[in-house]
Amino acid sequence: MEEFRKIIQTVSRGGIEGILIGGVAGALRGAHRPTRDVDLLYQRDEENYDRIVQAISPLSPYLRGAPPNLPFKFDTRTIAAGGNFTLTTSAGDLDLLATIAGGDYDSLLPHAEVMKLFGEEIKVLDLETLIRVKRAAGRPKDFEAIAELERIAEEHGSA
Amino acid sequence: MPFELPEITPWPWIDAYKPGIDMTLVRENLKLTPTERLEKLQRLVRGIDALHEAGKAHREAKRPASDSKD
Repeated sequence: MEEFRKIIQTVSRGGIEGILIGGVAGALRGAHRPTRDVDLLYQRDEENYDRIVQAISPLSPYLRGAPPNLPFKFDTRTIAAGGNFTLTTSAGDLDLLATIAGGDYDSLLPHAEVMKLFGEEIKVLDLETLIRVKRAAGRPKDFEAIAELERIAEEHGSA
Repeated sequence: MPFELPEITPWPWIDAYKPGIDMTLVRENLKLTPTERLEKLQRLVRGIDALHEAGKAHREAKRPASDSKD
């Protein structure tokens, strides 16, 4: 069962440097589109890897869709050697992303704003940039979601 | 590595969807706090999961007994 609250509290309380992007960020801007995974663009930094491992490990992260019992070890070495991880956790699906089309944490940080969610502060990509990174990805499956975000921007500006 | 964000210019593949977007749902969402928006999304996802489970149970109940032997 997805627990957005648990994941957001885990990220925030763990001091993870990351920006919420993707469908959850879209929902926070008013989009009415179901999504079940939390997408977090994280900072590529050794200290942040430590924070990620400390905070996320208690949620028993595992590679989503992978066969069971793979020798997957969620540690700083794995994160440093990898980049983007699509994980299943005890609190729902979590995508940890080092880079996306259009940017990484450092380049997109100026386009993030802090929101208060479930009593925690967390960075969320702003509406215009959310549209632009989805356009940069150019995935046909996103076109309808982009259209919705653009309608929101046209009608309400930055929601 | 330099990154490039595309400008928001008219894109027919995206614009084609715009007339079909139900803005009444968006306007209702925007009346909520950000936390309430996520709680609503959570309920929506749970509702979809419940429907999937109900459909799966229904299909399994209708499946002939011989199908479940292997």
